[in-house]
Amino acid sequence: MDKGTDHLIVTESLAKDYFDGGAPVPAVRGIDLTIEAGEFTAIVGPSGSGKTTFLNLISGLDAPTGGKVWLKDKLLSGLSGNELSDFRRDHIGFIFQAYNLIPVLNVRENIEYIMLLQGVPEKERRERVGEILKEIGMAGFERRFPPKISGGQQQRVAIARAMVSRPELILADEPTANLDSGIGAELLDMMRDLNRRTGMTFLFSTHDPMVMDRADRVVTLHDGRVAKDDRRART
Amino acid sequence: MFLLRMAFRNIFRQKRRTIITGSSIVGGFALAVIFIGWADGSYNGIIDQFTRTRLGHIQIHERAYLDRPSLYRTVDDPAAVGAVLDGMGEVESWAPRVYAAGLAGFGDKSAGARIVGIDPRRESRTTRFDRTIVEGRALGGPEAREAVLGRGLAEILGADLGDEIVLLSQGADGSIAEDLFTLVGVASSGDDMTDRTTCYLPLATAQEYFVLGDKVHEIAIVVTRLSRVRDLSEDIAAELADPDLSVAPWQVFAKSFYDAMQADKAGMWVILVVVVIIVAVGVLNTVLMAVLERRREYGLLKAIGTRAGRIVRLVVLEVLILSAAAMVLGAGIGLGVNAVLAGHGISLGSEFTYGGMVFDTMRSEINLRSFAIPAVTVFVAAVLVSLFPALKASRTEPAQTMRMH
Repeated sequence: MDKGTDHLIVTESLAKDYFDGGAPVPAVRGIDLTIEAGEFTAIVGPSGSGKTTFLNLISGLDAPTGGKVWLKDKLLSGLSGNELSDFRRDHIGFIFQAYNLIPVLNVRENIEYIMLLQGVPEKERRERVGEILKEIGMAGFERRFPPKISGGQQQRVAIARAMVSRPELILADEPTANLDSGIGAELLDMMRDLNRRTGMTFLFSTHDPMVMDRADRVVTLHDGRVAKDDRRART
Repeated sequence: MFLLRMAFRNIFRQKRRTIITGSSIVGGFALAVIFIGWADGSYNGIIDQFTRTRLGHIQIHERAYLDRPSLYRTVDDPAAVGAVLDGMGEVESWAPRVYAAGLAGFGDKSAGARIVGIDPRRESRTTRFDRTIVEGRALGGPEAREAVLGRGLAEILGADLGDEIVLLSQGADGSIAEDLFTLVGVASSGDDMTDRTTCYLPLATAQEYFVLGDKVHEIAIVVTRLSRVRDLSEDIAAELADPDLSVAPWQVFAKSFYDAMQADKAGMWVILVVVVIIVAVGVLNTVLMAVLERRREYGLLKAIGTRAGRIVRLVVLEVLILSAAAMVLGAGIGLGVNAVLAGHGISLGSEFTYGGMVFDTMRSEINLRSFAIPAVTVFVAAVLVSLFPALKASRTEPAQTMRMH
């Protein structure tokens, strides 16, 4: 079922309850939100406000208990398990707080993994990996394995993995939480720059003021609801 | 290739666990190889001795002889059959025989006897008949009027070497066959029943005695490879192209012995069950542990777009690679042990008797099936057992296992 709009993400009365001993514990309580293509948006709020659950729901990693999510006009609840996997593979890039690289794959292999799933020919994969490694300042690190590089370098690789397949949406959950402020700022600037140059949409879940400073929209969640939606002029 | 690389590297992430799992597969596989090789060697030794020393590997008779033995059911031209057999490379030797029932007597004692006419030279070459002589000597020329008695029969009659025994029977022409033969030897085949009833005569003497002309009742054949008897029986039948003759491998004419061997061999399946349990427990335990440890990683793979089927293949592939490597090592160990057991055998300390045959050493055998059966068993067991953790890994819920941080 298609929504038939030009919005990248549309949520309608989106809700998620977890169950604790049979009793429902609401994490997200009826969020109506629209994200446009090309936005650099921060979802902020205190711990337990529903930021991560919201990101899980709009990426199809978790199923809502109420409401709907459309991503690129596609109703996520209408997709099967494999269709959801393919949809995430082709349209969403993920950046995690703990980097979450695949430890048995080296830097180049981690970055090209999604392209491999997409069936991108090897020659093109290598070219694109080479380009993005230069872009993130990691050229020469192709054969290093994740445990052998620093946290900041691992997060760069994670950013490269998220972007190399050129998805429309990058979801980043606390991407700077494990980094020192200098490296965090550097990576945020890099992502901001990529957002401006490529038009990819970035959606952050964060506590980090550095992210909020760079975002052109800050959505504040409180107790699973949108408490504030602050749009700023693009700088 | 990419998946293979991932699987290969995953195997070496937990070296100690890999060594433990691999060792259980190596042990199970080697155990099965050694056991099957040993069982095959022992049983084939028994079968070879049983057939080689008595019956031959293949027998040729008149078509209905095996079902209803009769003096009149004969192979009419044994020389022509022999010429065919002499032209077949896989036939090691052959021996014609005449069989009839009669009465043996000495002094005032008599006993029922199975009179067997043999070609002493051919019989010794084929079934080592000369080695069964425990007193006196083997039969002389094919026309000598001599007899060899089984030890039991000689004792019943109270006959000694040099005594003249009388045989009474019926000729093929309906006449009464009665004649005197000099006892030149006593045979002990190892089978009491045979030794209590059998009287051996030279072939030509027996043919004349029973008025059979050149005809015989049986041609016993020994072949170079026991495993080829069924195929070779068919080849011989095709070469002879005589519808009045039947060519039977030992499994047919010694069916009760064959059935007993098959029943004994069924014990092999017990060891295979043990191997399956060893492999299954080892693989299931360690793979399940690995899958539980890597739930977050499987969650990540699913989050970034990996289909469930690919995760199943990844886990199963890891087990297959480990199993293959362990089987190569297990095959090496099994081959080495079997080579020693095949070459030197194991002395049983004291002789033991099986079906009247005496054994003092048992040997193993190196053959393809002692590797193929465990290989298939281990592969199937490993794959089946790994499916459960693989499916568990593929059903990992990314949101639950990794949270997005």
